[in-house]
Formats: sequence, C-alpha cells, structure tokens
Amino acid sequence: MKPWKIATVLGLVVFALIVLVPFWWIATMSFKTYEQIQFAQSIYVPRPFTWENYTGLWLETRFPIWFRNSVVTAMVVTIITTVIACLSGYAVARLRFPGREAIATLILVLYLVPPALLFIPLYRVLAELGATNSLMALFLSYPTFTVPFCTWLLIGFFKALPTELEEAALVDGATRPQALVRVLLPLAAPGIVASAIFAFTLSWNEFLYALIFITDETATTVPVGLNLLIYGDVFHWGQLMAASVITTVPVVALYMFIHRWMVEGLAAGAVKG
Amino acid sequence: MLSRADAGGRIEASRRHPRRGDTGTAILLLLPLLVLVVGLIVYPIYRAVWLSFTDKLVGYPERFVGLRNYIYLANDDAFHTVVRNSLVFTVSSVALKIVTGLAMALVLHATWRWRNFFRGLMLLPWITSTVIIALTWRWMFDSFPGRGFFNSVLLDLGLLSRPVAFMATPEGAMLAVVIANWWRGFPFFGVSYLAGMQSIPGELYEAASVDGAGSWRRFWHVTLPGLKHIIIVTTLLTFIFTINDFNIIYVMTRGGPGTATQVFATYSYEVAFNQLRWGRGVTISIFAVPLLIAGIALVSRYLLRERTA
Amino acid sequence: MRDRRLSRRSLLTGAVGASAALALPRVAAPQIKKGANLRLWILKTYVEPTNKAVEAAAQRWAQKHGAQVTVEYFTFEDMQTKYVAAIENKNTPDVGQLETGAPARFAGMGQLLDLTTFARQVEGDIGKAPANVAPVTVLGGKTYALPWYIMPAFWYVWRDEFEKKKVKLPSTFEDAKAAATALNRPNDNFYGLGQSWNRTADGYGVMQGLMYSYGVGWANKDGKYQSIKNAKMQQVMKWATDIYKEGIQPADTLSWTGSQNNEAFIAKKIAQTSNGPSITFALENALAKATDAKDKKMREDAVANHVALPHPAGPDGRRCWGLALSFGVFKTAKDPEAAMSLIAHLLSPEETVRVMNDSHGQFSPVLDKARAATRDYFGKNENYRNFGRAAEWFVATGWPGPVTAAAAEVQASNVLTDAPAKVIVDKWSVDQAIDWADKKIKEIYDTLGA
Repeated sequence: MKPWKIATVLGLVVFALIVLVPFWWIATMSFKTYEQIQFAQSIYVPRPFTWENYTGLWLETRFPIWFRNSVVTAMVVTIITTVIACLSGYAVARLRFPGREAIATLILVLYLVPPALLFIPLYRVLAELGATNSLMALFLSYPTFTVPFCTWLLIGFFKALPTELEEAALVDGATRPQALVRVLLPLAAPGIVASAIFAFTLSWNEFLYALIFITDETATTVPVGLNLLIYGDVFHWGQLMAASVITTVPVVALYMFIHRWMVEGLAAGAVKG
Repeated sequence: MLSRADAGGRIEASRRHPRRGDTGTAILLLLPLLVLVVGLIVYPIYRAVWLSFTDKLVGYPERFVGLRNYIYLANDDAFHTVVRNSLVFTVSSVALKIVTGLAMALVLHATWRWRNFFRGLMLLPWITSTVIIALTWRWMFDSFPGRGFFNSVLLDLGLLSRPVAFMATPEGAMLAVVIANWWRGFPFFGVSYLAGMQSIPGELYEAASVDGAGSWRRFWHVTLPGLKHIIIVTTLLTFIFTINDFNIIYVMTRGGPGTATQVFATYSYEVAFNQLRWGRGVTISIFAVPLLIAGIALVSRYLLRERTA
Repeated sequence: MRDRRLSRRSLLTGAVGASAALALPRVAAPQIKKGANLRLWILKTYVEPTNKAVEAAAQRWAQKHGAQVTVEYFTFEDMQTKYVAAIENKNTPDVGQLETGAPARFAGMGQLLDLTTFARQVEGDIGKAPANVAPVTVLGGKTYALPWYIMPAFWYVWRDEFEKKKVKLPSTFEDAKAAATALNRPNDNFYGLGQSWNRTADGYGVMQGLMYSYGVGWANKDGKYQSIKNAKMQQVMKWATDIYKEGIQPADTLSWTGSQNNEAFIAKKIAQTSNGPSITFALENALAKATDAKDKKMREDAVANHVALPHPAGPDGRRCWGLALSFGVFKTAKDPEAAMSLIAHLLSPEETVRVMNDSHGQFSPVLDKARAATRDYFGKNENYRNFGRAAEWFVATGWPGPVTAAAAEVQASNVLTDAPAKVIVDKWSVDQAIDWADKKIKEIYDTLGA
C-alpha cells in the first residue's frame, strides 16, 4: 500500500506543478517592469515588485473597453443560449414527437461543425445583415456553438430527472410549460447552471469569430485585443501578462464556486452518453 | 399558450395515451433552435459549398469555376504540408492527452482527501481562454531568458550554455504547439476518465483480486475495458475539435516558421483573409469535412446508442 | 456641378497669380454644407502622439466648418484586409488614408473618385510631390489620391559597436553583411543583424528594397509581368538566405513579429536592423520618461549612439521601399466636397507642420510647400536629416513600373518573403524558390490582368 501512496502523492505533485507553473510564470512577469523582463533581471521573483503593468493596462490601453465588450457579449450569449437550450432540451428529453431522434442527432452533429468551415460564409451572411463590426455579430454567431453543446448537456440532465413530479403536476392541471417552469427547472438547476457557465466560458474565450467579424479595435473583445497588443511595435510584455491574469481571474473565481456542478455536468455528458 | 380547457383535454388525453400529441408543443419549443440552425449554420454551409466552386476574390465579383479550387489544392504542395501538419498535430496531441488523462485519473482516483480540490485545480487549464494559453506557452518557449521559462531554467541549471530558440525550427514549433494543445486539453480527459472509473463497480475489482491479479493486471483487465466507451468518445470528440483548431496555432506561430505549423483552419484563414481568395479559402476547410464526417458518424453511433433507449 | 465649381476656382486662383496663392496659409476650402458628417480612416502608427495629432487636425477642420468627423483606425497588420472587407461589405469610409499599393488596387476595383481636377488645385496651392512618388497616386493619367507623406525605412545601427571594432558604417547591402559578420558575438548573445522575412513591412518592404537596389523587378516599365529568373535575383536571394546560414542573426529571427526587431535592437541584442523612425521615437520617449539619474544617462547614451542611416544601396542604386500615404475619396461618400475640403485642410503646410511636430520624424511630407515648411524640424540632428531626405530614395511597389493592382497583390500575397523562407526553413534550393515565386507572380498577373 505504501509505495502506491507515495506514487499517488508524487503524481499529485507532478500534475499540480504541470498545471500551475505556466500560470505562475505569467503572473510573475506581470509584476515586472519592461526592463526587468528585457534584461532578464530577477527572473523568478520580481524585485522590486510593481503594479505598473496593471495600472498602465487599465489606464493607457483599450483594455477596459475590451473587457466590457467581453462581459456584455458573454452575458447576452449566455442568456440566449440558456433559454434556447432549456426549451429545446426539454422538448427532446420529455416530449414524444416524430423526428425526435433525428433532432437529437442533429444537435450533436451541429456542435461538431467547425467554426473554421463556417467563418467565411458566416462573415458574408452577417455582413449582409449589417451586423459586422459590432457585438451584434457575436450575439448572432456565438449561439451557433454554445446552443448545441448546452442543449446536448441539458438533454442528458433532463432525462436523468424522474418524471413523476412532472406527471403529478400535469395531473393537477398544469400545462406543459407550467410543468417545465415550476417543477423541472428547479430540479435541473445544477445542470442549468452548469450549462450557463459553459456558455459563458465558451463565449468569454472565443477568438476566431471576434477576430474576423469585428475589425474596429475599439469594438472588439479581450482575446482579440490581447492578440492586437502583441503585434504592435515596441510594446509592453508586462501589460500583456497583466491582461492575461485579469482575464483569467473572473473565470477561475466563478469556477471555484461551481466546479462541482460543472464537473457533474461534464460527467453527465460524457459518461451517460 | 395553452388554456386551461386545453390542459384539461390534454390531461385526459395523456391519461389515455401517455405523451402523444406533443408535436405542436415540440415545434413551438424547438422553433428558436431551428431558426438558429437553419439561418446561421445550414445556410452558411450551403453558401460555403457554393463559394468553393467560384473564384471569389474579395472586392471583385465571383465567377463559377467548377472544381478548379479543388484541383489546385490537390496539387498544391503547401496544402499537402497543411494536411500532414494537421494530422501530426492532432494525433500527437490526442495520444498525449489519452495517456496523461489516464495517469491523472488514476492519481485522482487513488486520492481520498481533497480529491475535489485537486480535481478542481487540474481543470484550470481547461477553463482558461485558449488565446491566453497560447500566449503563455509562447512565452514559456521564448528564446530570451527573461521571458522564456525553459531557457531561463535550463540556463540557470547549467544544462544550456546559450539560449535555444525552441520555436525557430519546424520540429520545435510543432512540438511547442502540440504541448500547448495537450496542456489545455488533458484535464478534460482526466476528469472524464475519473468519472468513468468511479462508475466501474467495485465488485469487478474484488473479483479480479480474488483471482490473484496484481494492480497492473487489474488496471489492464478491469479499468481499461470499463473505460472503453469513454475513451472512444473523448478521443473522437477531441480529434474532431483539434483537426480544426485555430486559436493555438494562430496565436503561437501564425502557422510558421514557413508553413511548418500551418493547419486547415489557419491556412483557410490565411488564404481567405490575407490573400483575399475566398473561393480557395473555403475549399481548404471543406477538404477537412470527410475526416469530420467520419469522426462525427463514429461519435454519433457510440453516443446515441444509449440515448435512444 | 462639382467639377464646374472647382474648375472655376482653379481658374480664379490661377488668375490671381502664384504669389497670391503662396500668401494664403492654407487652401481655400470649397463651400460645404453645414452639418456634413464624414468617416475618416487613418493609419495607426506606432507613435501614439502622431495618431492623436492627425485626429486633432481632422477635428479642427470639423470645428471650422460646423461638420463632424468620425476617425477610425487601421493598423499596419490589417491595412489591406480592413479596406477590402469594407469594400466587400459596401461600407467604405468617406475619406481613407491609403498605403502605397492601395490607390492602384482600389481604383482598379472602381472604388475611388477621380480627383484629377482637385489634385491640380492642390498642386497649385501646396505644390507637387517628387517624381518618384507620383506613380503611387496616378493611374492611367487620372489622379485617384493625394499624397501626404512617406514613411520610409532606415538602417539602424549602434555606432559604439561599429567604433569598437573599427568597422565603417555600411552604405550597401554587402557592407552591411560584412559588418554583421565582423560585429557578431554570439557567445555574448549579441548578433550582427536582425532582418526577418516576415509578413510585415519590415519583411516585404526590405525585400523589395533589396530587389530594387539590385535592379530586379517583377514588372517592367509598363507594369506588365516580367520574369525574375535571372542572375540578379540569384544574388538577391543569396544575400537574403546567407544572413541566416552564416549565423549572424539570432536563431529565431525568421519567426519574429513586426516588433521583435525593434525590441532586439533597443535591447542591444543586434547591431543593425531595418526599421521606420519608430525606434528613434521609442528611445526618445524612454529618455523623456526616465526618472533616476543612472537611467537617464543610459537613455541619453542610447539616443546619442543610435544612428538611422539611409537604407542600403545595391549595385543598381539606392532604392528604398516605404509606405507612401495618400488620401482618397471613396465613391460611396455622400458629400465629396466636404471630403475634399477635409483633405485639403490636412494637406496644408500649417496642419502638416503641426502633425509633424508630434511625429518624431516618422514621416516625411512630400508636397513642396509642406516639405519647405518642415525643413527646420528635420534639421534637428543627423538622424532627422536622413528622415527628411527619405523621399529621395523612395520607390513604390512594382518598380520600375507603375503601381498596379497586380503589383499590389504580389506584395500582399507574401510571395516575396515566403521565397527566402522556403530556402531557409524548408531547405529548398535558391533556384527552386525563385521558380516558385515566379510562378506565383505570373499567376497573379494572369488573374488580375495588367
């Protein structure tokens, strides 16, 4: 038993290091000055420690705008996605109608359609709608990948819930929509929260569509903004690192609270098939 | 929506014939999804296919050219490189992820205290923005000691006398992007396998022990078969996503040096948006579709087996 | 209607006489309706004060005329794609700042207004551009854009490194390579040269400078395709690939982004590099921001020690590619007169000088009177004097022919920098790479005509 215990602890340490070292590296650099980075001074622990990258980022660059755009987009898309996913997931999980299996398959297949295939024609469609160069383009295009995934997730969740309570509600005279809202949703809350978090995260992290659909750098999101910061002339590595840290922290914080549900959701999706 | 009277009749109906006649409701509920799907997925796909048969150059009107784009790409050695790179990138990342995912699941499975904490910790790469992951690993591999983790550490440990430009060679660049992709993805594998392991009945292990199987044999004959379904599903899913991955390679190397790390998605972007050839750009993505369809078909078969119960 | 009014004005100014025109500090603007609303696209340079200065100049025009100007930016990286996307989506700006190949390209697509008459008026008021700049804006005898300034490249070197090893400051590409070999100290992490064949102006601009200085052009004087499979191109490719093979550059140079050569130079990791004046700006800026005495001294030394030499010459002459920025009016503009008024305002010597003062020598105005007005500014020191002379060495894309849509496409397709990259990374032979590039160029000319 002992050797296994040691192996396990060693394994945990190794994996923890693998996961944490890259984060630590950028966090460290975010507290260094440009010179410290350029001239390789105080590599592992910044001495002196400086906040100038964070303040500079917030005050001198467009980062606050990008951050706001990312937040707005993620929230709008999450709402759209959760509503559609709940409705659709419920329909597929609970209702019987011809073509139900086909729809279920379609949803899965849709999730697997690569943005790399869609981005060119989608660009033209959105341009024709006049939606390009604004967040509207993202509001319209992001659901194309968040909705299938979240619907799939919720189908699994809804299916796993017992039907008796709903049946009882129906017998008591509730309509289907009422049964959905009053009985099923509270039960499925963990799944719905997980789905919302996924939608938020997918939206927050998305890059390709934002890169292509929005060319005005005052209207774009953080991932694209970060990318823009790099390909300038002389620029601030430290600020870029600071931006990375700031962008990651909210998601990590959010995730700390709900990671249990998130993992359950993941597991439900993966294990239950 | 439905009135009380309908509800009454409906309940009557459902008592007699459980869950029939839902089609109306279903259509209503599914309407948003169908609008989204047809308008923003199916229609663009149709236009993509149409575009691939034209010579559309941005700013100029398009002309129908039949299979010219397809023939051009089939004979273009840059495209051959792209196909090769995409496969190398995908297969290497997936293989690494499977192996480390299993290791991670085993380690977590054997952990009793703080398992949730560690499991949460290890999912951190999975929830981080891919752009940030790509940037981070680009810096990790950077050739300036102040920025590059590996160069700093190896130089300080005396294992290197001069900084190495890891990403300057084709092999090095491919290795770098594979590692970044692996780091991002292996936690998902680990957590899935862990969930899978937790659902393997304990009796199977006991039975194996009774038969005299050591830990390795137990792993091989109980754990792995029990995980077969998950391993297949996750592998197929990751294969599908990775073969069309854009973010990591674009941010880390832009497909360079030369075309050493150019893959389907990045090459399609380059041709469409830098060379402004939309016809050819779309065709590049379409070439990946057969692989995609094969992958999707397999995944559907596996995943849907249980759903249709 | 519009043309009639303008020609009447030019008749009038002509009648009053050149001296009277000289006396006017700026061009008398055509009457524009109050409440005009214009969208102006300008290049976001790496020198932020310049960008702000241009925007301020535009806003001054707006205030004067009770009009509105919305300024939007494009960057070095996306300047081609952004315009073309706007053309595709039919939402081009009213006035756009156009880089070297853009007037040819967009006029070829039928997107730009013919500004010939307006140009003649501007010529009368502010003067002409030098002959080597004219091809950028004139196509088929018609003028489609008004040139404002050139943003050229210079050959930056660290004087102290050269003095230490007693190497002469380089004047030709061969000199530069020899100097790089002499100054190379890889064990100290210091290299003689930093030239990346990447997909930015630092890459394709230098490649063109190299080609043109050796007398190689992919188009002939009439702008038609000509083959580059000749001995001169072999020499060009040899220079381009030897600098990698001989270890006189940092190992990862080929994968550098647009800014890494700047960083490497400023951090004194390389002795020479090609760049626009933004390096001078960066050094001057750092000096201005320096706080403690030691820091300040270090920065003063840096400013004193860095030299911006004229871009190297080849056996055929000294030809340097640069960004020639001009203003064009898109056909979608609802108020062309307001657009032209805005352009005239921005091009005036008065406004040009104001923007110049915030540009840290980044750009070299091209119209006569504007050049004259900025002579003092460029007299600041040796570097600035070179900045001011940039127009002398400028050649446009597609030399020796005019700038055509096809030539611009060749530049945009990155074939020029991909060719040496194939030799260096994919280990092709020089002949193979030249053949490949030639084929690609021919293909472009076949598709786009001209």
